[in-house]
Amino acid sequence: MQYKSQKIAWYFFAACMGLFGLQLIYGFILGFDRMGYDVLHDWIPFNTARATHTNLLVVWMLTGFMGAAYYIIPQESGRELWSTRLAWIQYYSLLLVGVVAVVGYHFNIWEGRKFLEIPRPLDYLVVVNVLAFLLNLFMTIWKGKNKSTTAMVLFFGLLMAALLYLPGMYTFDNIVHDSYFRWWVVHLWVEGVWELIMGAILSFLLIKLTGVDREIIEKWLYIIVGFTFLSGILGTGHHYYYTGAPGYWLMVGGIFSALEPLAFLGMALYAIAMARRGGRNHPNKLALMWTIGCAVMSFVGAGFLGFAHTLPQVNIWTHGTLVTAMHGHMAFWGAYAMLILAMITYVLPEMTGRKLFKGWVPEWAFWLSNIGMIAMTGAFAVMGVAQVYMERKSGMDFLEVQESLEVHAFGLVLAASLFTLGIVLFIRNFCAYGRPNDEVLEA
Amino acid sequence: MLTKSAAKTFFLGGTALCSIAFVLLTMDTLAQFPDRSNQENMTPAVVRGNHIWTKNNCMGCHTLMGEGAYYAPELTKVMDRRSPEWIAEFLKDPERMYPGRRKMVKYDMFDPAEVGAEEAKKNVDDIVAFFTWVGEIDLNGFPAEPDLAQAPRAQAVDVAPSSNLAKAPVYFSTVCIGCHSVGGQGGQVGPALDGVASRLDAEFMRKWISDPQSVKADTTMPDLGLEGDDLEAILDYLATLKE
Ligand code: HEC
Ligand code: HEC
Ligand code: HEM
Ligand code: HEM
Ligand SMILES: [Fe+2]
Repeated sequence: MQYKSQKIAWYFFAACMGLFGLQLIYGFILGFDRMGYDVLHDWIPFNTARATHTNLLVVWMLTGFMGAAYYIIPQESGRELWSTRLAWIQYYSLLLVGVVAVVGYHFNIWEGRKFLEIPRPLDYLVVVNVLAFLLNLFMTIWKGKNKSTTAMVLFFGLLMAALLYLPGMYTFDNIVHDSYFRWWVVHLWVEGVWELIMGAILSFLLIKLTGVDREIIEKWLYIIVGFTFLSGILGTGHHYYYTGAPGYWLMVGGIFSALEPLAFLGMALYAIAMARRGGRNHPNKLALMWTIGCAVMSFVGAGFLGFAHTLPQVNIWTHGTLVTAMHGHMAFWGAYAMLILAMITYVLPEMTGRKLFKGWVPEWAFWLSNIGMIAMTGAFAVMGVAQVYMERKSGMDFLEVQESLEVHAFGLVLAASLFTLGIVLFIRNFCAYGRPNDEVLEA
Repeated sequence: MLTKSAAKTFFLGGTALCSIAFVLLTMDTLAQFPDRSNQENMTPAVVRGNHIWTKNNCMGCHTLMGEGAYYAPELTKVMDRRSPEWIAEFLKDPERMYPGRRKMVKYDMFDPAEVGAEEAKKNVDDIVAFFTWVGEIDLNGFPAEPDLAQAPRAQAVDVAPSSNLAKAPVYFSTVCIGCHSVGGQGGQVGPALDGVASRLDAEFMRKWISDPQSVKADTTMPDLGLEGDDLEAILDYLATLKE
């Protein structure tokens, strides 16, 4: 750490840990509901638990991206953050909006559109909040000594993410219309601009951890994000097959989304190649493990499992089944959760000065969470494929099929317990580092 | 070997081209929506139904057009398998219709006992109008017909005027028929009721239908709260179902 103001990143990461933990609790409520133990139904029905689960996910990820940006941008720009005060205001208001929204879901106050459940008045607050965040970054870069590619890509990604939030704020009386623009947020985020953010954070980590020349890393960064947009923008069509849009989307969406895994494959190969090439023997091996893990698992979850149901011939059967949930979990985990955990693992020693590079706690955190997530994906896959064959292909009754899958939901909960154990260890390790301090500032 | 600035050009150029193509396709798509979704049939009732759907986040359990959650039945074609009367009866208290099974939230707005018969009927009519409209959107063939179909699927019954069912009270041919069949028409959840009057005596049926759980505590036949004329009409009809 070089600048005092970078410390604020730690508070964002701490909030991340808390929200992540809460997300998992709601995950268990969903899991138990699926097993048939819906004892909380009268207070927290499935739709409340689900909206809370996915919104906490999105909020902790945005919080994580913001923390990462508050660390990376001053570092790359060579100066203190433009306004620490603004960053604090932004921090508290973001958490407040998140908490108010989630509490509202427990009282049937929401907008009833998956992933965009936040009610309209809070949407405006999110916009103001993000504007403050972006202004802060922009001024820092503007006044900084250098404008690195990594910082620019990160900023551009965050800016685009903010702009793409806007189409989701419109609602239309025609649901076909509504759904069309919902995907501008949901798809163009995770398969577009968030990948830019991911590419930039990975580059930053690889530059720091492997010591490979910045020029080479940043060149590949451009190529990979180039592929992302080349495939991802028109790839939005894979959500337009069966939601009321014209038939040509089957062709356009099918072809372009089938190319999307290339960007993730590129990301994985790039991370592995840079790590092998790097001469530097950075002591923080764990951070490198999470970094490479992120690149590899995102290829498996988003690239491979995304491809598995992206062709229209397949999607007509799997559309809106647990197959989608299988893909959603591993993709979010690999691409974005592991990315943030990699960033946290890298910054903690830098910020606190404590060099806890070894030990069973962080190592088991890595392995248990990953093995747990792979097992969870397996449980969702079994449920999803069985649902497709029994309900969609053989025409069996929905509830009957679901009840026959309850035993696999038990498998899901077991796997989730393993996963959660890993995350608990990660959080424990986070706490073991303590708070950041100024003594570690490098001259 | 590719230089960094060439890589940057590739990124910016590719992004620009794809964005332009995407915007053009979007313009064409938006122009086709009114036709594909039969926008002219979007009555005020449909719009109100849509608001009921989103305000209560029904999408947090159900899918519609394949979008939403995977916990409850896909509802795009629900009007093909359920009659409006069945839906009205179901929404009054979902747990009563499916005792002991996966739970749906009970919404007071659909329950005459909570908001009055008129208000409840209006809300049900709105949501039914919405489902009917959704069922007619051109979805490029989704949901597909099961291609390995063996199990008969639930279907709303079109009563042929000559059939035995034509004589049944409306309540019977819309609600009971969701679970029971007569003359091969109807649902498979409960036993077929052909010849039921020869099997069961009238007093038993009265007790059974007005409160099944008092006869058999763990039965999945719902207590539909039938009484008075409705009950009598149904019992009269059942009495005609002899072997
Ligand atoms: C907590 C989850 C949940 C929520 C929220 C929910 N439902 Fe349901 N719904 C279910 C389940 C589960 C079923 C299957 C039948 C049962 O077990 O009650 C169902 C069944 C139905 C059916 C009958 C479907 C069929 O094919 O027979 C309709 C119609 C329906 N719901 C409409 C709605 C509407 C309208 C809303 C919002 C106002 C809604 N549901 C909200 C869980 C939910
Ligand atoms: C949600 C599904 C459902 C609905 C709706 C329903 N039933 Fe039933 N019914 C059942 C089931 C299941 C059984 C078998 C119960 C058992 O044996 O535990 C049954 C049993 C019966 C029987 C006894 C049949 C026999 O051969 O033993 C009669 C009579 C009957 N129902 C009449 C009706 C009438 C009349 C209605 C409408 C007012 C109705 N049911 C609505 C599910 C339903
Ligand atoms: C990190 C990147 C990704 C994440 C986080 C992600 C996550 C998700 C989520 C959460 C959904 C459910 C959305 C909803 O129904 O609202 C979804 C759907 C889908 N994803 Fe991804 N995804 C990613 C990348 C990909 C890629 C690269 C592909 C294709 C190769 C893909 C193909 C699909 C398809 C086809 C669906 C629709 C499923 C359906 O019809 O129900 N995804 N994704
Ligand atoms: C304790 C562990 C977890 C459990 C038991 C769990 C369980 C579930 C369940 C049952 C659903 C609902 C599926 C349905 O509609 O029926 C769900 C949705 C979802 N969860 Fe989790 N989850 C867990 C952790 C996570 C994690 C760590 C992530 C992200 C990295 C995540 C991301 C999601 C997403 C994106 C959805 C929406 C999927 C979709 O719409 O297709 N969950 N989860
Ligand atoms: Fe997508």
